[in-house]
Amino acid sequence: MYVSLELLKNFIELEPEITPEDLAERLTFSGSEVESIIKPAEKLSGVVAARIDSIEKHPTENNLSVVNLNTGTGEYTCVTAAKNIKKGDMIFYARAGSILPNGQELGIKEFGGVQSNGMMLSAAELNLADIDDPTGLLILPSSARPGDDAKNLYHIGDIILDVSITPNRGDLLSLLGMAREIKGLYPKAVLKMPEWLRPVKQDREWSEKFNSISIPDNGCYAYRLGLATNAVMKSSPLTAKIDLVHMGMRPIVNAVDVTNYIMLMLGQPLHAFDLNTLPEREITVRAAHDGETMLTLDGKERLLTQKDMLITSGGQAVAIAGVMGGELTGINDDTKTIVIESASFSPVRVGHTSRRLGINSEAAFRFSRTVDPALSKTALMAASVLMRDWCGAEINYRPMSAENNIAEPEPVKLTRKKLSVYLSFDNMNAAAKILEGFGIKYLSGNNDEMRFMPPTWRPDIKIEEDLIEEIGRFNGYNDAPNKLPGELPRRADIGAEMSCAGFIRNTLISRGYSEIVTYSFLPEDFSEKLLLDKNDIRSNPIMIANPISRDQISMRTTLVYGLLSALKNTLASGWREPVRIFEQGRIFLKPDNDLSAPNSHFEPNHLAGLIFNGTDNRSIWNDRAQDFYDIKSDLSALIKLRGYNPEFKAGHENFTHSGQTAFIIVDGVKVGFVARLKLALEQELNVEGVYIFEIDTEFLKDIKKRPFAPVSQFPASTRDISILVERDKNSEQVIDDIKTSLAEDGNNKILDSIRLFDVYSGKGIPENSRSLAFTITYRSRESTLKDNEVDLIHMALREKLKFKGYTIR
Amino acid sequence: MPDDLINIAGVKEDFKNSLASAKTFNELDEVRVKFTGKKGALTLLLRSLGKLAPEERKETGQKLNLLRDEIEHDLTTAATKIRAAENEKLELDSRIDVTLTPKNDFNGAFHPVMQTMHEIMNIMQGLGYSVALGPEIEEDFYNFECLNIPKWHPARDMQDTFYLPDGKLLRTHTSPVQVHSMLEFGAPLRIICPGKVFRRDNDTTHSPMFNQMEGLLIDRDVSFSVLKGTMAEMLNAFFGRSLKYRFRASYFPFTEPSMELDIECVKCSGHDENCRVCHGTGWLEVAGMGMVHPEVIKAGKIDPEIYNGFAFGIGLDRMAMLKYGINDLRLLFNGDISFLQSGF
Repeated sequence: MYVSLELLKNFIELEPEITPEDLAERLTFSGSEVESIIKPAEKLSGVVAARIDSIEKHPTENNLSVVNLNTGTGEYTCVTAAKNIKKGDMIFYARAGSILPNGQELGIKEFGGVQSNGMMLSAAELNLADIDDPTGLLILPSSARPGDDAKNLYHIGDIILDVSITPNRGDLLSLLGMAREIKGLYPKAVLKMPEWLRPVKQDREWSEKFNSISIPDNGCYAYRLGLATNAVMKSSPLTAKIDLVHMGMRPIVNAVDVTNYIMLMLGQPLHAFDLNTLPEREITVRAAHDGETMLTLDGKERLLTQKDMLITSGGQAVAIAGVMGGELTGINDDTKTIVIESASFSPVRVGHTSRRLGINSEAAFRFSRTVDPALSKTALMAASVLMRDWCGAEINYRPMSAENNIAEPEPVKLTRKKLSVYLSFDNMNAAAKILEGFGIKYLSGNNDEMRFMPPTWRPDIKIEEDLIEEIGRFNGYNDAPNKLPGELPRRADIGAEMSCAGFIRNTLISRGYSEIVTYSFLPEDFSEKLLLDKNDIRSNPIMIANPISRDQISMRTTLVYGLLSALKNTLASGWREPVRIFEQGRIFLKPDNDLSAPNSHFEPNHLAGLIFNGTDNRSIWNDRAQDFYDIKSDLSALIKLRGYNPEFKAGHENFTHSGQTAFIIVDGVKVGFVARLKLALEQELNVEGVYIFEIDTEFLKDIKKRPFAPVSQFPASTRDISILVERDKNSEQVIDDIKTSLAEDGNNKILDSIRLFDVYSGKGIPENSRSLAFTITYRSRESTLKDNEVDLIHMALREKLKFKGYTIR
Repeated sequence: MPDDLINIAGVKEDFKNSLASAKTFNELDEVRVKFTGKKGALTLLLRSLGKLAPEERKETGQKLNLLRDEIEHDLTTAATKIRAAENEKLELDSRIDVTLTPKNDFNGAFHPVMQTMHEIMNIMQGLGYSVALGPEIEEDFYNFECLNIPKWHPARDMQDTFYLPDGKLLRTHTSPVQVHSMLEFGAPLRIICPGKVFRRDNDTTHSPMFNQMEGLLIDRDVSFSVLKGTMAEMLNAFFGRSLKYRFRASYFPFTEPSMELDIECVKCSGHDENCRVCHGTGWLEVAGMGMVHPEVIKAGKIDPEIYNGFAFGIGLDRMAMLKYGINDLRLLFNGDISFLQSGF
């Protein structure tokens, strides 16, 4: 809301020492944030009104004229290309040394041998392009006096507050409302009434036939029409046009400007019809029919439902009530007879329609925030007065009205107890004074409880807390004492999910990973990019119905896409070093991949990590290139720190390396994968050696606790064993076989550990085979094992393994 | 002539000289053999004891024992010295450039927003708040209706919303967790709800995804003063110093009265008219809050006649940017580690 301080003076007299800055601060602290104080003419200086004494043709330049000007204190010569001037016209003149609103300083310029002292101004040069034809000079009313400073004329020097009005305060979307608010904030201020708001006599029968107004839809609280005849359509008075521009609207033609002006002043949206374009001489306000359409004046065909309200004439829709007019019935250049509509509509209904149709017109904006229902009468009369003043219309016709029941404000109580609990303030008399200042009337009560009646323009005041807020925002919140809450209701708990998230980030960051956060969205083509199968649950994300872009069209089903984007962005920024990143966050899945399942979805927490050696992987530590086993060790350590024993089994993902992919199994359940990226995807990124993992972290929320056990007091014996296996035999399988073999002989009790210490293939080993060397530690809890005992057990193990088909080397 | 036969002083002197010239283990070993070997000087002396008269034998025996002890001790000491010298040489020979980069030289880095979230969670836990979490895909009912924002309400314009085909939406704030938590735990209640939120907005100062933390306290006779004190504690603990702050009246449909909190500019404290962080105002808006609206308490199935409370919502991204001096929101979510590793 742009608040013209010049116009505000019509509604309220403030103490003179209150500066615009003071006012802005007071408004801001009381809930209406002043975003900026606009001073459109702050830089303007030296520009005055001047009379054109003569116009001569330029001696050499055909399209220029030489103009002699009189400013009352001197005569000046100016060269101009403007054609819309004649002798005797008053214009704004900026002689050399003057400064325009944009900061430009004028000088003396020569045009074909004629010296031009400064220039004559168009509206555009005053930053008021909207008020007049920008190609010609701005012609002033003949009442202008030569030498008068432009800053003091036509509100050019106005100061405007750009105030952000919260949605509960529809009443502040007008100067009248702002004046009432400011009165509440400054008790010494005096409210005033502008000249055009004084009642006029309107008692004549309409000179034009008009049958009826009917309002069967009770979403229309009141509907009033005023008549203005013999109106002349022309430009509005200069001051009014400048006022409109300062308050953010474009002047159009006087009759339309009147409706906008009154709306800005009083907050009541109005509409002006050309009576002769109405299909019939009657108005009905009714609910639309489902499927009914209407062409609004922005040229769009609107599909309506029965929740919308229509203004109709002769059965034909002429406007969507409170939202937007139709194309057919507007004011045109030849309009002479005007009906002015001033109505009151349900904020719920207008809100629904404007929201559904996406129309945020000035009218809809105000109606959905509530317009004082008591205003429609006053505003109609004021508009009539301006139709008379600006359009020369006859207006003394009695307005026509139809009304439904309008909800009256209800009393609200204020108790000292609640007031003092909330605000640590309990002066009920002071509270009552504050409320009265805002127009909230004291009805009855005592020092413990009082009843108040909110005014019709404050429907937001419904409950005691609303009254408390008025008192709070008047007094300000900064002087309240600081307190802390008392005894805890229950133990404060970070909770398993966030504790686990904290554990994961601490662990991975200390292992050299950077924590990243990427968007929870996926692009349209992510599943092709990740080579996912169509029937993979991750290929069917939850779509966003109203996405901003194709790049963010659905909810992520995997964190891998974000990791790869992060890698890409990292590389694009010129990073050549090793990369280790991880992200934790939710992914979004449909249940059982069922596209039609309503009202349910899963949001499991996932963790994903990525390592990469860097595009420049030269290193003084030649043996330290990161590979599958590095990322595996990080992930494995993370899981083990929570007490779980992860198993890694060869697995498959479409987007990972066919030979370097493992599924991670914890307690028999697959929780994720760890793998090298598929070569095709690496090649696309133009990198080599990208390793990733992604797991569902649900199981990590609980720490699997193991009791500490005493260590055996007896010494251990170790024996090595070297086994020849085919290439694809996993070491885990061999270890399993060793364990079972020992168990079969009842020797698992003395098995302490099995450690793989060498993997060898090459010379001396058959093609497609590997030699795995283990060291097995035997240890008893009961006695010292003798060498020959261990030898026997170990020998038996070798035999068992041979029996299972292994070649022992 | 026992003195000639048992020339203790001579052997001792001879030993000391030999030992002094032994510089290696080999040379030391030669000394050992020369004096304590089977034909060593000391061995011979000990053997010749038997030839002495009994009265001399005792005294000479004692002397010889002392000499033997001294020789053994000296040999051990000399061995230790030689070992130390040899080790010292070995060590010097295997000296390295200690300034080389470490192995596995990966610098882990926290994400400023996540760090902020965990820091504030810890601060608030200290003030007795538990963490409550809610779904990021939310129902209109919890995101809006329960919070006193019906469908037609213009306050919906304050939060441009992403919708899903089934009518659900991406939560536009963490406030829906308020109602979930009231329904789950009842009163009294003290919770914080950190998490991602989404709005249909994308420009230099708005991201379609950002992070918030909701706080909610429900109890009997809760005063604005407690909200004020709580915010002051939290901000001072988070920024590690006592900041100036101020409350402005504001409006949220789910609180009444409502206010916004500004803190003194963390960069210029209001001393720089051209400050890029506060644009010269000296103040930064960091949180919205208020006393919970009775309708919201009712939606949480708690009796507003008995209980009241306050709620606040902090923008975690903004807090992170302020604390860690980040001035471009878009850097936060693109995963570029050259950015993440640049600060602390």
